[in-house]
This record gives sequence, C-alpha cells and structure tokens, in this order.
Amino acid sequence: MLQAINLSKRFKTKEVVREINMELLAGESVGLLGPNGAGKSTTISMLSSLVQPTSGDVLWNEKSIAKNPEPLRKTLGVVPQEIALYPELSARENLAFFGRVYGLKGELLETRITEVLMKIGLTDRQKDIVKTFSGGMKRRLNIGAALLHRPSILIMDEPTVGIDPQSRAYILETVKQFVEEGMTLLYTSHYMEEVEMLCDKIYIMDQGKIIAHGTKEELKGLVSENQTIELKANLLTENFEKTLIERFPTATLHIEEEVLTISMSKSEEPLATIFAVAAANNVVITSAIVKVPSLEDVFLHLTGKALRD
Amino acid sequence: MLFTLIAKQMKMLIRNKQPLIILLVMPLVLITILSNALGSIMDSGEEAAIQANLLIVDNSSWAQEEKAIKLFLEQEGVNGPPLEAMLIQFKSSDPVELLNGTILASDEMKKYIAVDYKKYVDLKVARQDENIDGILNIPTNFRLDYVKSAYFNNTNLPDLSLYLNQDNEIRASIIESVLTDWQTGYTQSAALLSADLSPQEIMSNVTSVEKLEQTLEANERKIPASIYYTVGMLVMFALYIPAFLAGFALQEVQWKVYDRILLAGVSPILYTLSIFFTGTFVAFIQQVMMLLFGMFVLGIEWISLEAMVVIIVSYSVFVGALSALMTTLQFRTKTEGIANVFNGLFITVFSFLGGSFFNIRDISETLGKIGDFTPNGATMSAILSIQKGQDLSVIWPFMLAIYVLVVVCVLLSIVFFPRRGVAE
Repeated sequence: MLQAINLSKRFKTKEVVREINMELLAGESVGLLGPNGAGKSTTISMLSSLVQPTSGDVLWNEKSIAKNPEPLRKTLGVVPQEIALYPELSARENLAFFGRVYGLKGELLETRITEVLMKIGLTDRQKDIVKTFSGGMKRRLNIGAALLHRPSILIMDEPTVGIDPQSRAYILETVKQFVEEGMTLLYTSHYMEEVEMLCDKIYIMDQGKIIAHGTKEELKGLVSENQTIELKANLLTENFEKTLIERFPTATLHIEEEVLTISMSKSEEPLATIFAVAAANNVVITSAIVKVPSLEDVFLHLTGKALRD
Repeated sequence: MLFTLIAKQMKMLIRNKQPLIILLVMPLVLITILSNALGSIMDSGEEAAIQANLLIVDNSSWAQEEKAIKLFLEQEGVNGPPLEAMLIQFKSSDPVELLNGTILASDEMKKYIAVDYKKYVDLKVARQDENIDGILNIPTNFRLDYVKSAYFNNTNLPDLSLYLNQDNEIRASIIESVLTDWQTGYTQSAALLSADLSPQEIMSNVTSVEKLEQTLEANERKIPASIYYTVGMLVMFALYIPAFLAGFALQEVQWKVYDRILLAGVSPILYTLSIFFTGTFVAFIQQVMMLLFGMFVLGIEWISLEAMVVIIVSYSVFVGALSALMTTLQFRTKTEGIANVFNGLFITVFSFLGGSFFNIRDISETLGKIGDFTPNGATMSAILSIQKGQDLSVIWPFMLAIYVLVVVCVLLSIVFFPRRGVAE
C-alpha cells in the first residue's frame, strides 16, 4: 500500500503541494484530478521517490521511502507527462535500453519487448526511429517503456496530453485493460471523463491541496442529491403536467416554451413513467435529457471555477 | 549496467550529426588547412620560428687598434720578438673574433641567431627597428682595453653595450644568454690566464653555452607544421566532448528519461561514472583517429609509442572527468549555460594559451608557462617534447598537472552531483 502522509513541497517561496494525504491500495485505480498547475506532477514525483518532500512522508507497505526508496521503485512503472524517450533511437532500441536498466537481458528481455510492443500496438513500427513517430505513437511507446519490468503499480501523469482523439481512445482502452487485469493505477489528468472512465476512487486537487476525495458517486453527491430531466414535446397540456405532479409529488416542474424541466431525487427512475403519461395524454416527446452532476460540476462547486480554466 | 549506459551515450553521439562534425570532421579539416597553409612558414628553416636577429656594431677592429696595442706594449717595456709573439697571441685570442668567427659562425648557432655586422650605426635608429632583437655595440679601443685588463691588470675594463628588444622576449633572451656567456668567458679568461688556459678553452667550458650547444646538437627531431597542428587540434577538439555529453545528459533530465533511469534503480554515482567513461572513451577514440589521420594522410611518423599512449590516455581521462563535472554543474543549474560558456570562451582561451593556434612562447614565455598549466597545453607540450625525441621523463611534470585536474574534477563531481531527481 502506498500512502502519502501530510505531504508538502515548497520550491523556494512557493508552496506547490500542501499537506496532502492519499492512499493507494493494491488493485485500486485511483484518479488525481485537477487543473494545470494544481500540483499533480509534483505529488507524483514525491510519491515515486524522485522528489524529496519538504515535510510529510511517503510510506510504502508502512515503511518510509525517504531513506530507502529502492523497494518502491522496483514495483513502480511511471509514465511521465513528457515523452521520456530517446528520439534518435528506434522504438525497439528504446525499450531494450529501459529493459536493460531494469536488469532484464537475453531472451527474457526480447520476450518482454515483443509483448509490450504488441500491447501498445507498435510491432510494425518497432524498427523506426522515434522522432519519425506521430504524437500518439510516441505516447504509446512512452507507456510501453514503463511496462517492461511488469510493475505492480502504474503511475500515469496526463498520458493523453496533446494527441488526436483516435490515439487517445486507443490509450484509454489500453489502460482500461490494465485495470481490468488487476494492475494498481494512479492516473492524473485534467480530463474528468478519463478519470471517470478509469478510476474507482478520485482525489480532486487544486492549488496544491486535496479539496475532495471519494468514489465518483460520493463526489457527485457533494453537488446535489437531485437529477434534472429536460423534455422537449409538442402540445404540452395542463393535464399532462398535472398527472406528472400526481405521480412525482416531490418533484418540481417548470415549463418554458416547449421545454418541460423536472427536478427530482436521483433515487427515482422516472423516464418510463413520463413516457407512459405522455402517451396517455397524446403528448409527443421529441427529446429527453437526464442531467446528473458530473465531476466538472463537482469541481465547479468546490472551487468556483471550471476544471480547464 | 555501466556498459548499457555507455552504449546508449555512444549511440546518441553517433546518431547526432553536430557532434560528429565538430569532434571529427572539423579538426581533420583544420589540421589539413593549417599544416599546409602554415607549413611553408614553419618548415622553411630548422627552428626558424625562434631565430633571433642580432646586430653587431663594431666601432673597433684589430687592424685599427694593433698600432695602439703595439705602442702600449712598448711603453710596458716589451720590444722585439717577444712583442711580435704577444701580438700574435692577442690577435688569436681576440674575444670579438672568438664571438664572430667561432660561436656565432657555427651552423647550429646560425639556426638560432642571424647576425648582421655594421660599423658606426646610429643606435637610436637601429633600436627602433622591430626586426632587430638585440644590438651589441663594441666601442672603439675595446681590444686595447681588453689587452690592458686581461694581461697587464689594468683597472680600465673593456666596455660593451647590449640592447635587447623587449617586444621579442624569447629571441632577446637567446641573444642575452649567448652574449652573457661569451662576456663571462672572456672576463674569466683574464683571471685564469695565469693557469695557462686560453680564452677558447674557457669559453668552451662555460656551462650555459655548452648547454645551448648540446640543445642544438642533440638528436632532436624538428617539429613540422603537420605534427604541431595535428597535436594542437587534437588537444583542442577533445575539449568539446564534455559539453556534448553534458548537453545530452541535460536533455535526458528535461525529457524525464533521467527520472526513468533513477527509478530503475541506477544510482546517480553510476550514472556519473558512465559519463566519465564515455568521455574518456570518446576522447581516446577521437585522438587515435587524429593521430592515424596524421600518420596516413600527412605522413607523420609518430615516435615513442608508449609515451604517446601514456599521454593520450591521461588526457582522455581528464576529458572524462571534465565531462562528469560539467554534467554535474548543468544538473545543478538546470541550464546549458556552463557548457556554452566553456565552449565559447574557455576552449578558445585554453587553446590560445596552450599553443593550439601558434607557439605562445613566441610571444611571451610567461604566457607559455601559464599555458602549460592548462590541460590541453600540458598535453601538447608533453606530446611535442616526446615527438622531438626527448626522454619519457620529460612528460611527468605536464602529466602531474593533468592528474591534479582529474582529481579536482572527480571530487567536485562526487560532492555536487544531485543524489535524487534533478527537479529539486
């Protein structure tokens, strides 16, 4: 288990991380969500033993890594935000180098390289020089270089920054597969949909502090217990409105032009009932949108600003 | 592990055009150009580069003074055949004749001192001439005064004036050395005549003249422009290696590859060692290639192989140590500023002082001595000494300077290299 205890980091006069507490259990996929400059990368650097905290400690299996980071490092695979590869070397040469520094050699090294190349979909381009690769391919190889020694914990720092949607989807699918295979994941991003898709537990960070954490549902619960349904329909009748109030006595209804907005508890599942009432009253519903709070809403609620500001 | 890191650094060097051009192509081109362009000047005469110009203004002559000497002898009571015999002896031991006819007339001395003889010159004008490194003014009655002083204990000592051009320190010092020994010799001769030693014998026993003669006559090889500039470029361009390796290392930090290497369990000390060994290896290969180029393309015959190996390996180790130190400093400052300053300023100054462009001792002996404390200057002096045919022992003072610098670089690298990531 990896734990951060009151972790702080100050660079000269600027405190970039402030008394963070986090934990990452075996098999968990944890998201660290926050805008650019929130302190995510510094936190990851401290968790992976590359940067010494100004105060606080990082525990790996309940032992501080301050003096002996080696046991943690052996189990870690870190995918930095930067393309941490040698552009003048081929994909295979890059993987071979990183494999060798992890102590792999001979047939085992060759097998692992082949395996990783298949996972990241670069088998066909393995002999090509990295600087000729597209952004997406470089990102995939960047991930591959962290997988050669089969780490039990994978730390990924914004692995989809600056790439096309197709490559992004490929990477997310690959990471999802790692999670399904039971790998422990710490994933940072400022794309809430990525964290939402991949992570069970989420830490939200802003200005160096963890401002909230919990499961997706727990975090969304911070914003509201309600859901909002927007209906567009032809010939909204008073009878239709009246019947809906009878069926959902705790709901509030609001009509504006041809849009009916219903606000009610998230525990209800109202769509089937609404469509039945509409049919009985000869109301034709042209669209229905169920709005539940997103992590974006959570962040907005907690900080008063949008996640990508 | 060390081999993996070194192999990767070698690949990075080989696959980048800029280092290859600067480390290999440029020095070879410069060696060829300088050897050919300056060869005609440097190789025109043996040791022409340090030939001094001496003007002897002789206001006296034996013929002119013989009459006065004869008169002086008669006044001293010498007459008849003894007088004639003494005149013959005085003439044969005339110090000016000894200087002109024996010392300065020898073939070896002619390589170092070119002599021009004049009578009754305006010294003020002659001293303005930049091409003259020294003027020896022999006054009228010099020979008479010499005879009186040397043979009759007269207190009127013969007087000479020597003017040296301070702008040409080295050449002036050659003239001064030879003429001082000559003067000492004929002065001593006066005191030693009682022991029946002739001035010629005394002169030939003057230590420094003998030493100079030995220098000229020893089995030394001439250093042609091809050897001079091959060695000059070899020591200069090896100094570009540390900046390239430190630059690559800084790139590794910026790309976060260095973090990956640390996370894989590679210790910072091992990483520094890999830079040290890569620098040493690349410097060695670079120097060997230049020596082979000199041998096969310029036709140089490198002598004393074992001494050459000692010098080249020592200098390569220094380049390795400097690479490690420069990497450390760049990791600390997180900029390429140090490498840029070193490449742009230090290499130029070191090369100037070390003599890569021309023999700095032609300008100033002091600068030459300072140059011997630069790593490239010490290495160049050591190689050139060996190539002249001097003994292996001559290199150790130069090598000591290199070893001291290696120790300093290694210690500073160990002390200052960041123990964790460079982000801190």
